[in-house]
Amino acid sequence: MATDHSHDHERTDHAHHDHSGPGYMTPQAAVENAPRERLAYVMGNHVGIDETAPDFLAVVDVDPDSDSYCQLVDRVDLPNVGDELHHFGWNACSSSCHIGGLERRYLVVPGNRSSRLHIVDTEDREHPEIAKVIEPEAVHEYDLSAPHTVHCIGGGTVVISMLGDADGDLPGGFLELDDELNVKGRWDPAGEIDFNYDFWYQPRHDAMVSSEWAAPKTYQPGFDIEDVEAGNYGHELQFWSWEDRKVEQTVDLGEEGLIPLEVRFLHTPEHAHGFVDAALSSNIFHFWKRDGEWHTEKVIDFESRELEGWDMPVPALPTDILVSMDDRYLYGGNWLHGELWMYDISDPANPRHADSLSVGGYFGDVQELQGRDIVGGPQMLQLSLDGERLYWTTSLYSTWDDQFFPEEAEKGSVMLKADVDPRRGTMTLDEEFLVDFGDLPDGPARAHEMRWPDGDCTSDVWE
Amino acid sequence: MSTLRLAWRDGRTAAVEDPEGTVLDAAEAAGLALPFGCRTGACGTCTGRVLAGEVSHDRRPRALKRRHLDDGYVLLCIATPDGDCAVEVGAEVKRDLLANPFR
Ligand code: FES
Repeated sequence: MATDHSHDHERTDHAHHDHSGPGYMTPQAAVENAPRERLAYVMGNHVGIDETAPDFLAVVDVDPDSDSYCQLVDRVDLPNVGDELHHFGWNACSSSCHIGGLERRYLVVPGNRSSRLHIVDTEDREHPEIAKVIEPEAVHEYDLSAPHTVHCIGGGTVVISMLGDADGDLPGGFLELDDELNVKGRWDPAGEIDFNYDFWYQPRHDAMVSSEWAAPKTYQPGFDIEDVEAGNYGHELQFWSWEDRKVEQTVDLGEEGLIPLEVRFLHTPEHAHGFVDAALSSNIFHFWKRDGEWHTEKVIDFESRELEGWDMPVPALPTDILVSMDDRYLYGGNWLHGELWMYDISDPANPRHADSLSVGGYFGDVQELQGRDIVGGPQMLQLSLDGERLYWTTSLYSTWDDQFFPEEAEKGSVMLKADVDPRRGTMTLDEEFLVDFGDLPDGPARAHEMRWPDGDCTSDVWE
Repeated sequence: MSTLRLAWRDGRTAAVEDPEGTVLDAAEAAGLALPFGCRTGACGTCTGRVLAGEVSHDRRPRALKRRHLDDGYVLLCIATPDGDCAVEVGAEVKRDLLANPFR
């Protein structure tokens, strides 16, 4: 399926302006040269709502000049039900931008519940098609399950973080796909880690960082506070040697770092700085390398809020973060509170609050748009490459949605947008923009991660 | 000769005569859609509740806690009927397992 580029694997020098493969030479080139996003690929879920409808990849029109603006213009229905689509990724990103013959063409779309991997061909950007399906047995064979983050790792191969073993228990690990997008085997030597979740790599620093959610058997049925007390949720970061595929350092974030989810390095490959959101402790940590050692420090702390009539103060639950392509701003969403925030991270050790929007969730000022209830707070985020448009969806995970925003099962979720002024550091809710996943022909669906056809702030890595 | 009865919360019911394999397998063979995810007993998507009779888990039901098992919840992807039985099924059943802990 992928074109033969095995003869062409040699990387050229970075200073050399030889750009023959997918992506952009530098993050700055992505900011300056990327066309405006006109289509978004969005994960759509029927798990927990409809027992007979499969999950789907939605093609959403985000071009304001189009007649079908804010509508699903196509969808790729999966061949099975019950997958629970969550995160997904490209076969190639800017880390492969020196490799001729490779294209950013195939999306790897895993089912988090089923462990099934779908390969979607987006050669026709508006009408993608399933190219092949890797059945769960082929994944279980490597004693892995519950696929999460998909990253191209340069040169056409793909690595996927896996949250559990074949039984849905610990430990997790990493699965590698070859350049034909077939299962190649385990990427990591078994036994390096227990918990797993997200990962990001920075080849110039021989670094990878991975985070920790929980075993599939723990988080998939839903959130149980007893599991927190029993130590069934993660609170560590693992720093790997990218070359040796070994954990070199483990940092325990402690009580302030429960459930560290999304890890985001600054895009500039020279920098060894990044951020992670500790969702349950409602904190953001900065991590950085100095003198060969990784350090972490809590740099943002969101207070819990009392809700009248409730037993316990409600944590903010910042579930997703992202760094703008120019490394200037960190964005995130507090899902339970209903807050979207942006911090200036020009000095990554001292993030400065720039702006917030109060929307959805339990406390958001804006609870309805165009007559449509919003229900959940901001969850998965995606930013335009030029940093001027921030989009988000409102569903977290079917069983967690059912606990915290049960109405989402009846109403489905929405995709919303804010216009960003990066010079001023402000965000404005775009009240004209609303993609309603509650109003689909076969009933309401939940919307999750989003990607642009030509790369984005949460998938592109530079070598 | 045994009968597996299925009951949904919206009032729908169905019966499968001489079910083979797990409750999920038997329902699928009879053309009845039940929710599922992992099919290995880890995710809880297929959670049902025994209303009458007995079912036994073929392997450890990892997605259920002791208190859920004591309350009669079962994982239909790994549970086989022991003779006549009736099971409550559908996506709503698993919503009973865990409530909002802050409320
Ligand atoms: S389908 Fe996952 S526990 Fe039965």
